[in-house]
Amino acid sequence: MRDASRSRVVLGVLLTACVVLLVLDARGGGDPVTKGARTAGAAVFGPVSAAVTTVTGPVSDTYRAALAAPGAREEIEDLKARNSELTRQIGAQERDEGRSGELERLLNLSGLGGYEIVGANAVTHLTPQGYADTVTLDVGTRDGVRRDQTVVNGDGLVGRVVRAGTDTSTVLLLTDGASTVGARLEGSEEIGTISGASRSIAETAPLRFELLDASAKVGKGERIVTLGSHGGAPFVPGVPVGTVEKVEDTPGALSRTAQVAPVVDVSALDIVGVVVAGPKEDPRDAVLPPKPGDPKEKDGKEKAGKKQTAAEKKAAADRKKASEEDAPAEDGPAADAESDRPRDPDGSGEDR
Amino acid sequence: MKRGFAAIGLLIAAVLVQTALVDRLPLPWGVAPDLVILVVVAIALSGTSAAGAFAGFCGGLAVDVLPPADHEIGRYALLLCLAGYAVGSLRESNGRSWLWPLGVAAGATLAVCLGFAFIGMVLGDPRVGLGAVAVVVPATLLMTMVLSPFVLYPALWLLRRMDHDEFAAIGDAPWLSRGVAR
Repeated sequence: MRDASRSRVVLGVLLTACVVLLVLDARGGGDPVTKGARTAGAAVFGPVSAAVTTVTGPVSDTYRAALAAPGAREEIEDLKARNSELTRQIGAQERDEGRSGELERLLNLSGLGGYEIVGANAVTHLTPQGYADTVTLDVGTRDGVRRDQTVVNGDGLVGRVVRAGTDTSTVLLLTDGASTVGARLEGSEEIGTISGASRSIAETAPLRFELLDASAKVGKGERIVTLGSHGGAPFVPGVPVGTVEKVEDTPGALSRTAQVAPVVDVSALDIVGVVVAGPKEDPRDAVLPPKPGDPKEKDGKEKAGKKQTAAEKKAAADRKKASEEDAPAEDGPAADAESDRPRDPDGSGEDR
Repeated sequence: MKRGFAAIGLLIAAVLVQTALVDRLPLPWGVAPDLVILVVVAIALSGTSAAGAFAGFCGGLAVDVLPPADHEIGRYALLLCLAGYAVGSLRESNGRSWLWPLGVAAGATLAVCLGFAFIGMVLGDPRVGLGAVAVVVPATLLMTMVLSPFVLYPALWLLRRMDHDEFAAIGDAPWLSRGVAR
């Protein structure tokens, strides 16, 4: 009996400690105790994960190669025995080639946008219990990485740094349910927010784009770039985010939403860059790659809309450049637009 | 004493393997098997409820602190601590089949997963919704249970062996001696 009561005391003490930690950490604002604990954790994790990377590099490459071809799985079964020997030899070489290509694309993107970046490797892909979409990078405050910096790869936006340790940093991916990014439609002034959709059974795109203007024209295939935040933190302007996949037309809704496919394959991140200094001026749509094919042919309506915007684009860009010197904060224009909308008479939206 | 060291060693190994190795595997559904729960269950099954609670607290806290965890520190520690205590108190009844540890592990995993989601909802975590829970909880449970025989039985055997010379005659549970070849 003494034993039982003693263990109840132990349980009580431990649970109290847990609750105290939970409350301290949930309060936000970087409590020194939990911050110190995380710093210590990052310090331990850095060397361990570096060692594991060295050991498991070739193994994970083989696994990824096998996973990439689900259609050819039967064939793989037959060839596996012969293949594994060759794959092991080629693995190291392929890895180097692929990575140099990725690095080149990343440098190209940062050159177009005028971003100053620090290159990094994505180390982990999963989180405890699997709700959060975060990855760890092998760079930290020692390399100049700070909290609230934009993370990109060769294709576009990856996410933002939420925590930076000495040697590692944690990145909240843009597909995470808690992530929201201010965004703008390519070639227009239509702005909105892109938020990650949390994991769900229903088959939906991983991102949702919510336009602040309910009467704005959006079409499938239009591309989206970041709007940029005040002072370039957490998001620098002009980074490609995604492509509109499906427009949800809900009559009477205050804002228009669309499902968006991200340009970055967040499940296969390897080399990424942390933007440590933003561009001097907004690169607008300069970072977007040229459109493949010519989607304007498909839709007459869209064609007309596009031509108009193309003509307006230059003037608008010049006009905007001047006005955006006082960089709008992420929710600045959002709040304005939302408060303006209900006051507008219904017809005003149709004139556009 | 020897068993205490063995338990600490197992726990450290589980946390490191979980965060450094398992979490980087590109597994389906974006969830991973939970080794730490399994090791805590093994420690609690072969020890007292206080030992289980303590092991759960330490293991959970380590997972809370190590990157890339993005939840409040203490959330996982609280649940694993409770799970360790509950499993530790179960242990008294004898005459279980050798499948008993697996059942306990499944129950503990399910409870911890649901508890994690529940605390998330209470704290207003925008990522925890009904749809997400419906994917994450069954997937985690399935993966953990697939892995559990390969973690539970070796861990139990090791812990059992460590105190064999001290308490050889006490509480010799049949599922321990029958399930594992000596």
